Amino acid sequence: MPLQILLPMVVIGIAGVVILLHMLGRSELARFEDEDAARRAWLREYPGTPPTRVILSHDRHAALIETAHGAGVVWPMGMDTTARFLNGADIRRTGDGLRIDLPDFAAPRIRLRLEDDEAELWPTLMERKENA
Amino acid sequence: MTEDLTYPDVVNFAVPFFIAAILAELVWIMIKRRGGRYETRDALTSLLMGAGNVASGIVLGFVAYGFFMVLWEITPLDLGTSIWVVLLCFVLDDLRYYWVHRFGHRIRWVWASHVNHHSSQHYNLTTALRQTWTGTFTFMMLVRAPLILLGFHPAMVLFCGGLNLIYQFWIHTEAIGRMPRWFEAVMNTPSHHRVHHGRNPRYLDANYAGVFIVWDKLFGTFVPEYEKEKVDYGLVHNIGTFNPLRVAFHEWVAIWRDATQPGLTMRDRLMYCVMPPGWSHDGSRTMSDGIKRKHLEAHPEDLGTPGFTDMAGRP
Repeated sequence: MPLQILLPMVVIGIAGVVILLHMLGRSELARFEDEDAARRAWLREYPGTPPTRVILSHDRHAALIETAHGAGVVWPMGMDTTARFLNGADIRRTGDGLRIDLPDFAAPRIRLRLEDDEAELWPTLMERKENA
Repeated sequence: MTEDLTYPDVVNFAVPFFIAAILAELVWIMIKRRGGRYETRDALTSLLMGAGNVASGIVLGFVAYGFFMVLWEITPLDLGTSIWVVLLCFVLDDLRYYWVHRFGHRIRWVWASHVNHHSSQHYNLTTALRQTWTGTFTFMMLVRAPLILLGFHPAMVLFCGGLNLIYQFWIHTEAIGRMPRWFEAVMNTPSHHRVHHGRNPRYLDANYAGVFIVWDKLFGTFVPEYEKEKVDYGLVHNIGTFNPLRVAFHEWVAIWRDATQPGLTMRDRLMYCVMPPGWSHDGSRTMSDGIKRKHLEAHPEDLGTPGFTDMAGRP
């Protein structure tokens, strides 16, 4: 197929599907119903490291997880979730929460929307457990 | 000798069908309120990976084709272009696909290319298009060499490979439950391929087939979909990015980081490239057989159920 036909078809096709999905409300982020849901999301990634404490963010889109092996975060990947320990993380305050840079090419950054008191408290908990 | 043989570039011609089928699946899911899930960024990433795969084929396709044409020059055999030869080529190329796919899950160097196809936590028709950009660097073109040397023209082999890829498109769906029993027995189906995309311990390293599921049954890698356990899609360790560049290259970067750690022997560095995903020089990680074993330690009642039928007696 000539490129002058293939290229516009691919561009229009991708754009059309994406716009349609967004308009259909398929861009919503995962939200945890409760601590148990966040715990299950963590165990889905780290089945051998059960949480000792789960702290949901105010909007329930993310959770801080404490374990015997250090702290971690579960956060949305679109409608699904993923999780990481925070070993080696660089944690910074932003205008609306925290930005966590991880030494992980496949999960380089976590942006958390947090209330002021959460954004103040969470880094302390993350670093305390990281150094435990 | 057959010269200047050409076949249509079937994958490119199938692009309008791919787009139409994705829209049809989406409408089906919305109307029926079942049969799969779509998410905007996940779908965008999958579609961009598909577009990148086509682009990488245009840019790097000459490497494999040049290699095949050299083999074609060398071989004294020429099976011609009859329909029976094309059919035989299709079947043998599907056997080739089975082994390349199996290597793709069991050799980390090849997994680095294939992993992106499994990186979505969704399973819909866009997932089918989440294809590699780095297949050329796996050198799996070598597995096609016997076909060319046996006398199948390179253009025919690539044509059959394209048909194989198109067949596999429609099986990436939750909208279809099971096909008729005779079809499930012989052909790869949505049910069989859902298993292949599962990250559940029972479903790891199963159902590598492209078109004919008989290869898995023949080589002992077939696992049926188990009604009591829904497939959980994605990677054992899910990625945390929708960036196509990171999706395409993350495992290559991981191999580089592992193999260049200080203090390793040359053997360890090589093993990080060629051993199955999850291998580590100090045993700190777990490969798929270890994941299955750990699952059975926690759930001994699962022994004998699909995916755990051959685990008895293992240490």
